[in-house]
Amino acid sequence: MASNKVDAKVVLLGKSYAGKTCLVERYLKDRFLGETVPYQNTIGAAYGAKTVNIDGHSIVIGIWDTAGSERYEAMSRIYYRGAKAAILCFDLTDKSSFDRIRFWIGELHQHEENCKIYLCATKCDLVEENPERRAVQDSVAKALAKDCMANIYETSSKTGKNIDELFEKIAEDYVKEKVAADELEQEAIRIAEIGRKAHCPCS
Amino acid sequence: MAAHGEADQLGTTSDSDQGELNETDAPGKSEDAILFASDDFDNLTYEGLAEEAQKPVQKGTIHAIVRQSSNDVDSRSNTPNNIDHDSSEVSAGEESVEETAEQAQITPRADNTEVPDTVDASRIEIEEEDAYNPEWKNQKKHVFILSASGKPIYSRHGKEDKLVTIMGVMQALVSFVQDAKDQLRSIVAGQHKFVFLVRDHLILVGVTRGMDSTQQMLLQLMYVYNQVISVLTHSSLNKIFKQRRNYDLRRLLTGAEKFFDNLLNLMDTEPGLLLTAVRCLPLDSSVREIIAQSIVQNAKLKDLVFALIIVKNQLVTLVRMKKYYLHPMDLHLIINLVNASESFKDAESWTPICLPKFDASGFVQAHVSYLDNDCEVCLLLLSVDRDSFFILSEAKDKIKARLIRYNALQAINASIKRTSYSTQQCGIPDLRHFLYKARSTAQYTSPELEAPYTEPAEQERLFGMYLYLHHRIHTSGRPLKILFHVGEYETLLGWVTQGFELYAVFGPLITKTSAIHAVNKLLRWIKREEDRLFILNSVTF
Ligand SMILES: Nc1nc2c(ncn2[C@@H]2O[C@H](COP(=O)(O)OP(=O)(O)OP(=O)(O)O)[C@@H](O)[C@H]2O)c(=O)[nH]1
Ligand SMILES: [Mg+2]
Repeated sequence: MASNKVDAKVVLLGKSYAGKTCLVERYLKDRFLGETVPYQNTIGAAYGAKTVNIDGHSIVIGIWDTAGSERYEAMSRIYYRGAKAAILCFDLTDKSSFDRIRFWIGELHQHEENCKIYLCATKCDLVEENPERRAVQDSVAKALAKDCMANIYETSSKTGKNIDELFEKIAEDYVKEKVAADELEQEAIRIAEIGRKAHCPCS
Repeated sequence: MAAHGEADQLGTTSDSDQGELNETDAPGKSEDAILFASDDFDNLTYEGLAEEAQKPVQKGTIHAIVRQSSNDVDSRSNTPNNIDHDSSEVSAGEESVEETAEQAQITPRADNTEVPDTVDASRIEIEEEDAYNPEWKNQKKHVFILSASGKPIYSRHGKEDKLVTIMGVMQALVSFVQDAKDQLRSIVAGQHKFVFLVRDHLILVGVTRGMDSTQQMLLQLMYVYNQVISVLTHSSLNKIFKQRRNYDLRRLLTGAEKFFDNLLNLMDTEPGLLLTAVRCLPLDSSVREIIAQSIVQNAKLKDLVFALIIVKNQLVTLVRMKKYYLHPMDLHLIINLVNASESFKDAESWTPICLPKFDASGFVQAHVSYLDNDCEVCLLLLSVDRDSFFILSEAKDKIKARLIRYNALQAINASIKRTSYSTQQCGIPDLRHFLYKARSTAQYTSPELEAPYTEPAEQERLFGMYLYLHHRIHTSGRPLKILFHVGEYETLLGWVTQGFELYAVFGPLITKTSAIHAVNKLLRWIKREEDRLFILNSVTF
């Protein structure tokens, strides 16, 4: 799904209740309603966008917050197709949500080679408050991140910790890649032009 | 409700001093219907269902649309006169849909989190907590969904996994009767009615001690079944159970429980589901026309099948692709989706939904957004193109801008604030409340609930009277056209003709003659107001 208004498409994937919607809500609206509003599972997927400035580049990131229920998994391709970045979320207090991450990594490797993966360990405020609630060990999560050459962030939508950092990193990586690609293209054009000039008898 | 007084049968040719019912043109009638008009309630029989189950599911509406639009493109670009729309040649468009349909199939995930098949002792103990809990037992209406092998899928009250034994008993009853090459339909035990519906790989059971008749319960179970299809599609459901008879369907329904809960609550309070008809938000027809045109002008897109605006369970407008109609049962599922999903209020959403009456074999994609800040005016754009989100999002912005420019959004909000209308406005002293359904357009109208029906308990009693009246007048074998019933607290009059169904509630002291006069007057009032209360023109893309 592409729109000419969006530069970088970002998709959030992960088990239901992992905290995807809260993460996006914190990033786009800078708020956390988890304390007052009961959990509402996402239906299908919700879309939001934000413009950010990175090194003088203004880019629009389009964010797809997908539903974690299993029945949507078969249809998830409509949502992640063409994504530049995927944030794979798991809940630090729920081991099964971490176990699901490998599925998404496999899925993306198979269908979206060019999609960069970012791991996101959510709800870190809960484990900071009570370390006993931690169900996913730091070392295990880091090992997985290393395995798939992904950056990993521990975030809290409640406190806002690391959330801007995560999206900033995504935007930076995108800009870096784009600048590199643009340079490559310029280079290609330059070479082509030189070639043309060399062959043109009139110059 | 105690059946006080005698239910009385009237002929249309009753003595003129008794008053006469004038069967004129039905108000709200239109040749140009927007909804599929069919008498679902009357046509719903176990025999019919069994026959339907024999037939392969009607398939391919979605394919046809995509094929048609790809043909449209062809005809524009090269051979304008030579396109045979019914040709069975496979166009590129259809092929691509076939491929995507494949991808969309929900397949059971093979991992080891299966719920065990055997019930261990600890589970039974937990279960006793629910089934023996007095509060649970006292519920007025229960609805259960279980798999053909007896696995719990859903229970309206209590946790389904604490009801393993009771579901097992239900499954045993059904299969016992099936073994005798027969079919279990209903059981009456004391105050309770048990109604069974077996479809595909599911068993649905409704238990009521309310006014609902067996037939009405069956209709409700049909809605619940359609809700399952709406979430999973018929093809996926069949595929899953063909692969694994013992599959725990709850896994695919997580997060969908609220659709069932909400649907069942709607069925106990919204007469539209019983009548298989929808209620329209009252609006001047000129305003409604502006709204419809705003959609037509800005959303005339290749694969867009239906575009509709819903406000508080009422329809504001519906624009459809030529040749395709929306069935009221499907529309109720859409209304239920909107009604049950708080999450649509936060952001533009893009979600698959299957409309069982339209095409049970596949999903359409719905672009869902609210047009006002209060999140009351919901726009749905239903497309068969799964990649059209941004096109639809743009269309939505334009529609919204035009509605604002022509003050139409304001008119909708004013209508919401004004509430529908009061019974008093009809100018009939003894009339307390009524339901009127125009059959040709599958729409109904009814006034606000006012005294004495302001308390939930009273509203429930009123709804019970409508169930009773509806049941009596539709009882197969002895179909009545008119029913006059004197109850303890009110007098009821039901009247069904080719064109309409009318259910009216009067004070207890009204005479038959005055009731008939009143009803004639009411029909004239509805006729005068019909442009505002009903959508009489169908708008297509
Ligand atoms: N304490 C705490 N709770 C959180 C945090 N993030 C999410 N939650 C809670 O976790 C629950 C699930 O959060 P959601 O963001 O709705 O989960 P989701 O991943 O979008 O779930 P689906 O839409 O079903 O896929 C909610 O009750 C939130 O209040 C967090 O950072 N800290
Ligand atoms: Mg969510």
